Amino acid sequence: MNRLHSLSAVVYAIQYGFFWLWIPIFLLFGLATILEFVSLTWIPVVGALGFAVGVAYGIAYYYRFGYQITDDTFDVASGVIARRSREIPYGRVQNVDIKQGVFHRLFGLAIVSIETAGGGDTEASLNFVSEAEATRLQNEIRTRTAAVKQRRKQAGDHTGDETAATDDATPDSSGVVEPTETTATDSETGPLGPGAGAGDTVPDRDRPFDEPTGPKRRSLFDLEARELLLYSFTSFRPAAVAAVLFVFFLASDTIIEILLAMSQPVGGPEDLGTGTTSSYGIFTIVSFVNGLVITYLLSVAYTFATYYDFQLGRIGDDFVYERGLLQRYSGSVPVEKVQSVTATDNPAQRLIGYAGLWVETAGYGPDSNGGSQSAVPLAQHDRVYGFAENLTGVETPSFERPPPLARRRYLARYSLIAGSIVAVAFGLSMISPLERWYLAVIAFAAVPPAAHLRYVNLGYYVGEDHLVVRRGFWRRRTTIIPYYRIQTVSTRRSIFQRRLGLASVVVDTASSRTFVWAAPTIYDVSLEDGRDVNETSRKRLQSALRKRAAGEAGLSVDFT
Amino acid sequence: MEALHPRIRLLWIGQGVIAAVLVGLVLAGVDRWLVDIPTAAYGGVVAAVLVLGIAYAVRLYQVWQFELQGDALYLERGVVTFVETAVPFVRVQHVDTQFGPIERALGLSSVVVYTAGSRNADVRIPGLTPDRARDLQDTLRELAVESEADDAV
Repeated sequence: MNRLHSLSAVVYAIQYGFFWLWIPIFLLFGLATILEFVSLTWIPVVGALGFAVGVAYGIAYYYRFGYQITDDTFDVASGVIARRSREIPYGRVQNVDIKQGVFHRLFGLAIVSIETAGGGDTEASLNFVSEAEATRLQNEIRTRTAAVKQRRKQAGDHTGDETAATDDATPDSSGVVEPTETTATDSETGPLGPGAGAGDTVPDRDRPFDEPTGPKRRSLFDLEARELLLYSFTSFRPAAVAAVLFVFFLASDTIIEILLAMSQPVGGPEDLGTGTTSSYGIFTIVSFVNGLVITYLLSVAYTFATYYDFQLGRIGDDFVYERGLLQRYSGSVPVEKVQSVTATDNPAQRLIGYAGLWVETAGYGPDSNGGSQSAVPLAQHDRVYGFAENLTGVETPSFERPPPLARRRYLARYSLIAGSIVAVAFGLSMISPLERWYLAVIAFAAVPPAAHLRYVNLGYYVGEDHLVVRRGFWRRRTTIIPYYRIQTVSTRRSIFQRRLGLASVVVDTASSRTFVWAAPTIYDVSLEDGRDVNETSRKRLQSALRKRAAGEAGLSVDFT
Repeated sequence: MEALHPRIRLLWIGQGVIAAVLVGLVLAGVDRWLVDIPTAAYGGVVAAVLVLGIAYAVRLYQVWQFELQGDALYLERGVVTFVETAVPFVRVQHVDTQFGPIERALGLSSVVVYTAGSRNADVRIPGLTPDRARDLQDTLRELAVESEADDAV
């Protein structure tokens, strides 16, 4: 078993020390109110005691944490009192990510996370190891995952599809499979029999750190300075809103003072207590504009720092990427694990003719985007769609649109929203000095354009080997789903849709998503078309799976 | 197309009754601590929830259907939103039979089919007799193994 970097013992000790410091102190506060003889003067003593226990726990945690690369699994054992040992079969690894914060980079350290499809959490997180060790682990796991795939493929060639199928289901019991000479690690790990790797393990640390002797890294896409700047300025991160609100709550008094000082020259109130309706209005507008500008600038800075020096490459059949200014991320995504490919653009990006490309896997990436990984953060629109076509092999889609009847639904829906805005304004006028609530009726003016924009950005294309679904105005997503990735197909009809004879088709894949990235849905097509898409997808799923078993379907890694 | 066992209506009606009781309790709380509610309105709301709950249960039973098709398990369900789902056998990860205490008292059982998908990842067929449930579970398992694909997640 390998240990983490020795510095992590120090970090764990400090972390747990400060955590445990508070427990006896809180306990003491509680007891002091109940028991007479307990005195608050004991705080330094019990605090120190708690800290010592925490430090001991942190150090124990370090010594009880071990990881290891074995023949067919990556093993992690952890836990001071309750032990957990986890074995992750290489065949199930979705991606391996390396994350380096500023602190880590100063000391040459890194956090390695290993993701599989199961669960909503990172399966193994090594917090932290040295940079060299992180790269070594990433390479080792990547080559071994690739080797498992290679073996699986060969097994399929030797013994027909039946065995390939069962082998796939249980990659660990691949007793029939002979090791191949195709990759470097295979020759080192020796024959892979049933049960091998359970007991005898490879002494990883003793082996010299060698470069992966497999295929070399080839560059696919580098984000240029111009693209990075455009991306920073045209994308918006909701996290920035949260950050601004957080800072506001922390220092609301100071911030309100600054805002007052800023609004005074343009007619704002002297202070919050004295002011007229108009000066309050000016104050509100100044604060609002300030909030917007600061949130936007923060979002720009965040995007810039996150995607600084973005590089996408390939090693063998894996995508590898690197990015980040202060915090460096690097990860690998086996192309086999890609579930769907999505091109995204927002109105600003459409205006300048740019778009981005994402690949979705079933794992959980370092972003909060579920299993979505940015393959090309931003590039010219035509290039991105070209990339998407090269990657998936889809023909240029000619989108079909839902019937115009669908637009009526959006008109009705957005009218309801506008109506509720008016109702809220009316309610406010009842309980506050707000007058002229009826001015909120202006919200209805936005209804027709909103309904139209939603409608024109909907589209779908039933291709030969792929289903393409496009939706969304603020963040338009064009998702390309190979038929062989479909999990279930549903046709949904709400009571309103039934009245209009419309239906939505939900095509579910195994990509893990947050609620922001809902399953690809073809909205509001006529029932007949919806059933058609449903039928076709089901049929083509079966034929695509047969094709895939014969090795004819898949993504091509060299897409740029 | 196969319908569910008629007794499942009892379970769903029971749920409607529970909902009506809960609404009644909340209203009673409001009546006691916040504002007075006229008895007629009180009774009316509870009765409306009860009637809606029962109507929903009856309608849901009428709508619920499933079928084993050539390549997939096909289900139709839903009162407000009518959903037709196809779960290809290739995509079945595992199949459970489950029953809760009330289902057991009614002599019913459910089959839950799991896929690797992110949405509708588990599909539940309620209201089957235990024999039918076990039978369906076996059939689905066999069909799933038969059609296993070479691209697990």
